[in-house]
Amino acid sequence: MTATQTAPVALRPKDYKSELKPVWCPGCGDFAVLAAITKALAFLELPREDVALVTGIGCSSRIAAYTSVYGFHGVHGRALALAGGLRAARPDLTVLVAGGDGDGLSIGGNHFIHACRRNMDMTYIVMDNEVYGMTKGQASPTTHPEWDRSKLTPRGTGIRPFNPAEMALTAGASFVARGFTGDPNGLAKILVEAIRHRGFSFVQALSPCKTFRPEQMEWKKQVRHFEEAATDDSVVADTRIQQDDGMSTGIIYRADHPVYQPGGIAETGVEAFDREFAI
Amino acid sequence: MSLARRMTDLPTFLAYSVVVEEEAADRHDELADVMDVHNNPDVAATFRKLAGYSRLHAQEIREHAAAHDLPKIAPWDFEWEGGEPPESADIDEVHYQMNRAQALRLAMQNEQRAHDFYAAISRDAPDDAVRELAAEFATEEKEHLELLRLWIDKVPESEDESPFDPDPPHTPE
Repeated sequence: MTATQTAPVALRPKDYKSELKPVWCPGCGDFAVLAAITKALAFLELPREDVALVTGIGCSSRIAAYTSVYGFHGVHGRALALAGGLRAARPDLTVLVAGGDGDGLSIGGNHFIHACRRNMDMTYIVMDNEVYGMTKGQASPTTHPEWDRSKLTPRGTGIRPFNPAEMALTAGASFVARGFTGDPNGLAKILVEAIRHRGFSFVQALSPCKTFRPEQMEWKKQVRHFEEAATDDSVVADTRIQQDDGMSTGIIYRADHPVYQPGGIAETGVEAFDREFAI
Repeated sequence: MSLARRMTDLPTFLAYSVVVEEEAADRHDELADVMDVHNNPDVAATFRKLAGYSRLHAQEIREHAAAHDLPKIAPWDFEWEGGEPPESADIDEVHYQMNRAQALRLAMQNEQRAHDFYAAISRDAPDDAVRELAAEFATEEKEHLELLRLWIDKVPESEDESPFDPDPPHTPE
């Protein structure tokens, strides 16, 4: 009997989805992030076993379970730490990290700035809805100071919010972009570029929370594209971010920075680790 | 130049048409799933049925496309006027408490947009074969609209009210 070789069948976006039904609210922007990730992976023709999606905790962090690539639904705010370990041990994988604004910029804020600084080769998507949704609607680090719909902050937070793109740029990320879930195909295009970029790619995805921030459904009317193409000049990028109201989308900054990739770990082998822990 | 005027050949038109129908089916399935999860079984069943109809239409278009070598177009290179294919339900318009009548009205909006899309191509495309097939698809979309009208007529008027939820999620703390 002769063995026959068949060409690999191209995967479609839906092939990157799992059979689990998302628990997100109908109308949630996170559905579009899932669509954008699966479209980007299909476009790049990445085998599912070569991709890992690491997430933290929160509504958006559930996304790992809804894909058919390797997933790790981790610890609150620690998705980037886990992903850094994974990237160090398995440099052959395409590593995606995802979570919300609270998970990434508050609980995981310190991990975020150091992940930007380290510039390991991975793509981090912050699904930003300016609220903690899973715990029923509290102000997050990106909430505007006057938002007063939460009983915890009945007169608003009175605190200036973080600008995630500016934080990423300042901390050393080599790719900074902003997308919008109202334009899932545009977001998919940004993700393709982010995944192709060698280094730490940060993508802020404006993702409205229909349940706790229904006013964000107006974002569709406010979002527009940056008029300028991506720059590799951090001063130009910073000026662009500061002069913007946070509603412009596109790739803001893309530069060639040294990528941190510790060597030798994957070759060490499990037995060597075992020996180190032997009493 | 309008999208219709850029439909210069049958393979390009069919590549667009396949995506119109397949993404409509995928969106309906997604909405059915989310309504299942949020314990709205009637609306889930409605969206599931609509997904089935979209898939039948997608299959029909795929059969038309079998004889052609369709161009590979990246998702972001399709020049949809609203950012998404015209028959895909607008995710902004759904809510976990929506009822069957609202789901069907949403489906009618989608079919109307799909009809308008094909009708514009049947009128303005520069290629005869594209215009002819687009006219056929526009007629089919019109038939779907009529079927939805008949379906919505059978939905009791009481369903114009949203289902009651004694414990709504929006209770800020």
